[in-house]
Amino acid sequence: MASSRDDFIIAIRSAFLKKSTQQKFSLLTLVFISIFIIFLSSLDFKAIRYLKIAINELVYRSAFVVSIPENFIKNTFIEVKDYSTFFSDYKRNKKELNELKSNNISSEIIQFENKELKELINDYVSSSDKILAKIIVDQDSPFLKSIIINKGSKDNIKIGTNVYSQSYLVGRVIEVNYKTARVLLLSDLNSNVPVSIAPQNIQAIITGSGEKDAEVKYIKDGFANKFNEKSIVYTSGTGGIFKSGIPIGTIKEDRDNNKFKVEFYSDFSQLKYVFAEIITKTNVKNTEPEKLENESLVKNPIDVKLQILENEKKIIEDTNLKFKEENEILKSDINNLNNELGNLKNQIFSYKKEIEQFNLDTAELEFLKMNLYYGHKCRRSFFNSKGFTVGSDEYKKCVMNKGRKN
Amino acid sequence: MVSFKTKGPFFKLYSWLPIIILIVSVLNEFDFNYLNLKYFSFNFPFILIFFFTLKEFKHFDYFFVFLAGLINDTVVGLPLGISSLSYILICIATSYFRNITIRPNPIKDWFYFLFVISLINSINYSILTLFFSFNLILMNYLVNTFFTFLFYIIFVSIFKYYLKGLND
Repeated sequence: MASSRDDFIIAIRSAFLKKSTQQKFSLLTLVFISIFIIFLSSLDFKAIRYLKIAINELVYRSAFVVSIPENFIKNTFIEVKDYSTFFSDYKRNKKELNELKSNNISSEIIQFENKELKELINDYVSSSDKILAKIIVDQDSPFLKSIIINKGSKDNIKIGTNVYSQSYLVGRVIEVNYKTARVLLLSDLNSNVPVSIAPQNIQAIITGSGEKDAEVKYIKDGFANKFNEKSIVYTSGTGGIFKSGIPIGTIKEDRDNNKFKVEFYSDFSQLKYVFAEIITKTNVKNTEPEKLENESLVKNPIDVKLQILENEKKIIEDTNLKFKEENEILKSDINNLNNELGNLKNQIFSYKKEIEQFNLDTAELEFLKMNLYYGHKCRRSFFNSKGFTVGSDEYKKCVMNKGRKN
Repeated sequence: MVSFKTKGPFFKLYSWLPIIILIVSVLNEFDFNYLNLKYFSFNFPFILIFFFTLKEFKHFDYFFVFLAGLINDTVVGLPLGISSLSYILICIATSYFRNITIRPNPIKDWFYFLFVISLINSINYSILTLFFSFNLILMNYLVNTFFTFLFYIIFVSIFKYYLKGLND
């Protein structure tokens, strides 16, 4: 008994402490260093932060370089797949583009109104600037859903910066380095976003499922019955982490688990470039008194109001112009359609004539056939005094009746 | 089969190949996740480290294993040191297993591997949820452990060819 325990202790000691051939560190040393690093990484010291940033920069760049061959294969595969649906996609996109163009104008008006109202509430104007960022590392880990972008503190990226794919929300920045940043995707289990669900206007929080979608959580009892498959999910802006009114996805019912899921508009596995929104806030009222005196004309509320009205006018003019253009297009469309209609009518008329002619020909043919058989019975002659003159209506009638009926 | 007549730079490169593959795989996250198969994932570094620290520890520097762990944490976004600790614990387990094994048996190795990765994934999960308040799905860990266990035998058969080349 004692000997087996001794053997176990010897084996353990040997495993931990013995430096094998060509090993620089014993395993015990490395275990301690690991624990020490875990402990240090949980602390927020400036030196550790800078060291972490340096390591991150180096590793992210290396990961990007190492991933080039794999990404090439992956992208080629996706491109080949895309080509097969290229034409149908093009048709659908063209249709969507036309619809979006017309929606764009009303959206501009809403945005303008929104801006105006925010100015009234907050007494500051927030101007946002979206910068394009390339995804350098996109490891679709089963445990954590995040991506690395090639913009960092150098480009004014901050923790919490909203990240978009087109105009859809993708996630937010959780770690900023000098030239890179990590974005936590909405699908991650640790991601919670306060949202509004339209058109029912229900407030909720969505949490990433760790897969491709998110789950609707924290809704009042009974409200879930109001959802349907067409319900749209967008950020409510509650908590101030995410801007309000950013579209996220649509509601999908998971009948098996009796839950509501959110299907994102963006496919996070296909992201190549994203937009990071940098918001700068400019105070409207807090301007220096001297400047106020000098620039009283510019800062005058009436002038501001005038400016707003001018902008409004410009938008209305643009709208009118757009409507006029649309009108012209519709008019020419109507003309074209009328022309087409005329052509079709002509075609129908000619077809009708042809049909009539055909019917006549058929009747004539029938008469000639009957004439061959029964003509002699109806024709007036020396032997047939009761017959009719050839070509008369009575003669035709007689032939069609297969001879004279007494 | 690969054979080296002189122990020149090619031999050195060949003997360093597992370490190079390990570093590349942690940088690249070699796990076929982009196939988007539901629940499917496996941990290639676990297989590589377990096999080479068990069979060819002389050319498999523990320090680089530790370094690979740090890289993995940075790429995946885990707290620094977690993967290093996991990888080093595998090294300890294999070192212990090597010391107590008189007659090596592949099936025994395989099931010992299952035990080790289950233990390490449990430690990993516990640290992340208890100390770092991460939200993780246990099912993902279980499936990952299962597939890593299954893939072990496939990769071992490939690695054996490498060892044959190294020893020839």
